[in-house]
Amino acid sequence: MELNSSLQKLGAYQPRKSEKSAETLDHGIALLRTKAYLRQGSEGWEELEKVTLAALDQGNIEVADQCLQIISDKFPDSPRVDCLTGIRLEVTESPEVALKFYDELLEAEPSKAAIWRRKSSVLRRMGKIDQAVTELSTMLDTYYTDVEGWLELADIYASCQQYTHALQSLSHALLLAPQNPFHFLQFADTAYLASDIPLSLKMYLQVVDMTDDDDDDVAPIDQIPTGITLRAWFGVKLCTKRLLTDSKSQHASASHTPAPDPDTLNKLDELSGERLKTAHLNSSPLKEEKEFIEALSSMIH
Amino acid sequence: MAGSTVSLFLDSQIRDWVLFPITLVMILVGVLRHYVVLLLQSAPKKLTKEAIREQRALIRSQILRATSANSPIPPSHYKSISQNLSHAFANGTYLKDGPPKGDTPSAPPNPLTDPAAMDGMMAGMKTQMVMMIPQMVIMGWINFFFQGFVLIKLPFPLTLGFKSMLQRGVETPDMDVRWVSSLSWYFLNFFGLNGLYRLILGSDNAADSSRDMNTPFAAAAAAQPQPGQAQDYNKLFKAERDNLEFSEGLYSWVGKDVETRILKKYSRHTA
Repeated sequence: MELNSSLQKLGAYQPRKSEKSAETLDHGIALLRTKAYLRQGSEGWEELEKVTLAALDQGNIEVADQCLQIISDKFPDSPRVDCLTGIRLEVTESPEVALKFYDELLEAEPSKAAIWRRKSSVLRRMGKIDQAVTELSTMLDTYYTDVEGWLELADIYASCQQYTHALQSLSHALLLAPQNPFHFLQFADTAYLASDIPLSLKMYLQVVDMTDDDDDDVAPIDQIPTGITLRAWFGVKLCTKRLLTDSKSQHASASHTPAPDPDTLNKLDELSGERLKTAHLNSSPLKEEKEFIEALSSMIH
Repeated sequence: MAGSTVSLFLDSQIRDWVLFPITLVMILVGVLRHYVVLLLQSAPKKLTKEAIREQRALIRSQILRATSANSPIPPSHYKSISQNLSHAFANGTYLKDGPPKGDTPSAPPNPLTDPAAMDGMMAGMKTQMVMMIPQMVIMGWINFFFQGFVLIKLPFPLTLGFKSMLQRGVETPDMDVRWVSSLSWYFLNFFGLNGLYRLILGSDNAADSSRDMNTPFAAAAAAQPQPGQAQDYNKLFKAERDNLEFSEGLYSWVGKDVETRILKKYSRHTA
């Protein structure tokens, strides 16, 4: 089980330069010098895998190669190492080389989900969106439970303005992880883009419902909305505004979701405006959020 | 009777040349057996894409059904997924060998004719052989060389009921039960060494002789669950369709009245 989840993580890996990876890399170089990984048992090897990925993030190919060499000497036939080698190839070689590497692996054993995922993401980066979608959806047809995979498929669809398809992929992600408000938020955003406003409104409200009450005893009405809740209130405001001003949008729901009656809509509009104002007046010290709220305030007033 | 307890003296050579060798040989054979079994075990057969798809198709509908009473997805999406699955199950889209041809009998495949199942059974037999043969050889060896030997005296008294357990092979009616015969020592080791093996080889070792007690077929089935019970997925899928229909009746969207819920929460609901 553990192997499967780590393979899934590797399959979904996307290179990004972050402070965290720089930190991991610094730590990892020390680890390589002292050969401390030998003494840590299985954790040491996992550490080394993380260092490899961090080195690739930072573009430090030398360290990555060094780590990869050590790992593949220790575990010659591991599917995890194969996947790591593939990621390493993607960074320096042309996508065709990486693709060929993945194709060979898949030919030897067609049921490797992680390799499959990587192949489709290489295809996507090459601009062959149609092939990437085909690969990804056949993979998801076999390995249904890969939430990240569904999210990526939705992302691909959304990037081509295929919002209906994106909504369908997202609904699978929702089914697989119904407890995650971020998926609901994404669903709501996508529905908004697909101009299915009633559906979007419901989903934003759903996010609010899921996130607004913490465990403490303060009633939600006395709390200052932050983070995802604030984001969802903003979505609610957008939706109600649009529904109130543009009566056509009430009936333009591809999912046949009924819009709430005007009375409820007005109340929701008022409530969301008030929540946003609360957030604005008590703007939090977080910088990004402040900017977001500044942008909001122009809309409310 | 008091005299009989001191009337028997064991030569220390019996200890050095019979008791210790038997124990040592049994331990070593157990360890060796563990490694032979590891060598014999073929890697689990790789499943093809289609087989995995078939196995996991049921999960899809189970996931859909799990949340159907409070489903996170709107009705139109739920219906389309549910009906799609239902159609696919009806048409056998997920079956590994493609949709069934009209009139093929749907009898479950016989495990003895299916080569894949046969492989699993043979593997079970092989390990079984490795288990049994050394035990038989050791027992023959003990019976041939050390029959009737008394090897050890237990440091505590026992009731007569233990006589048949501790003095097998020595048919004397009035010897103290504390004396243990060679054959009985073999059996004590046979059952008692498992703890030691677990210590040396780890808990998942193949030397564990308690497994010898199973019949070969039971062992084969326990080792590899798939070949024993070749499932008829077509039937399972057909049954799952009913479940899907049932859940569709139960379905309700979690977002159906979310706006009233929210308004109530923020005490704006007056209606």
